[in-house]
Amino acid sequence: MENIYEQLIEYDLNPYFLFHSNGKIKSYNKEAEFLLNFVGVKELFDLAVSNATQDFGFSQKYISLKYNKQSYYAIVVGYINEEEIALRLYKVVSNKMNTINNNKLKMVNIFSLIDLSKTSTLLNSNLKIDELYDVSIPELKININDFLLCLNDCFNLFVDDKKITLQVHIKIGEYEIINNTKYKIVAIEFKTNRDIKIDNSLDEKAANANINIFTNKNKLRLELPIIL
Amino acid sequence: MKKFLACCEASKKILNIAHMSANLPVNILIIGQKGVGKTLLAQQISPETPILDAKQLENSIINSTANIKQYDELVITNLEAVLNKKEFFQNLIGIKIIATSKYMPSEIATQFAIKIDVPPLSERKEDLDELISLYLKQAKEIYDIDISIKDIDIDLSSNGVSLKKSIYKNTMLKSLNDEDMQESLEYFLLQKLKNNKDYKELLKIFEVPLLKAAKVQYKSQLQMATNLKINRITLRKKLDQYFGTN
Repeated sequence: MENIYEQLIEYDLNPYFLFHSNGKIKSYNKEAEFLLNFVGVKELFDLAVSNATQDFGFSQKYISLKYNKQSYYAIVVGYINEEEIALRLYKVVSNKMNTINNNKLKMVNIFSLIDLSKTSTLLNSNLKIDELYDVSIPELKININDFLLCLNDCFNLFVDDKKITLQVHIKIGEYEIINNTKYKIVAIEFKTNRDIKIDNSLDEKAANANINIFTNKNKLRLELPIIL
Repeated sequence: MKKFLACCEASKKILNIAHMSANLPVNILIIGQKGVGKTLLAQQISPETPILDAKQLENSIINSTANIKQYDELVITNLEAVLNKKEFFQNLIGIKIIATSKYMPSEIATQFAIKIDVPPLSERKEDLDELISLYLKQAKEIYDIDISIKDIDIDLSSNGVSLKKSIYKNTMLKSLNDEDMQESLEYFLLQKLKNNKDYKELLKIFEVPLLKAAKVQYKSQLQMATNLKINRITLRKKLDQYFGTN
């Protein structure tokens, strides 16, 4: 039977990994298993190695990381031999309820807003956009001001690109719970041919607009609830 | 009501953005140089909305002489002139603002969900041609003269404002006869005399255009002196005096 320390790690709220020196995972806890849905083993191993101490020992580092919806504020990296290296990430936790201010919502056609944001932001750009829209998406309630501020910044990321793909669709089998109500999700996904980096200001604007924002290499995805 | 001219592709897009955003509950910022048509575009978005100058409105707010709450919507021009923009906007919460500015005021950029960047006329060829044709037609009717665009020095330094001024000014100048010129000079000299200008100072008003015209007409100083029937030394002195060169 595992000892109490191993049990503690297994049920820890923060992800833990133990890597072999060749980059393969030797062990991990439940939270780490969940995290592996969104980030590759190599990326985590590289994170551990690049933040390890020069000699055997442990190092703590306060860094801002975000994988899917979850943010992390610190890591601990340690190794006591040449064979293995451990990584623990510390989650940013919030007890804030997922709420939305209904007074600021207005029923609108999302494609009209996307078109408006695209046209005004890219007025002087030569960007070509391949649009893949699911036109069955109904009119939905949106905080128009905050939505446009967020979307404008997204389009601004691509003003110097030659071509992007823009896909708007309903996510199948996924829901968001707001004010104890379950909502379907509409995803707006930008795809280009280079890695996309976003700054904190876009994160803030997305949060203000009740949008979850994700980046994955050359993709940027916004997800918002379909409130009817 | 005058309308925002949209003959070129960029202007058509701008007008389309204006129409799309007209009924949305968001603030709109129209950015562009002087004379590109910012206020006209704002009026096109919301024709019935009162138009206020930003600086005057700021002063009214500071002096508590403005009843801001009476407005649901406002067109505010020359936003760049406001000193404390953040505080200014604090007073306008709840009002839909359509503002014009010569540049993007970064400290309040997040106040505007829609930003429309209007390019200068020099980058809107079809609009420029249309405006030239319109102003020239008006000027020809007013001054009753047949004049071609080739005879006019177009000034685009302030876009539509300077364009109109340059067309009207050129057309008027070319329509003047001796009587008009004398009348104009008489009025002009009267104003100068009121400011105690003496004969020598006023002589410059006659001599500078005369010498410039003679230079264009006769090319060389020798020809100028011969045709104007003045001494070459006197001519050189005057050229040196007014233009710093001979």
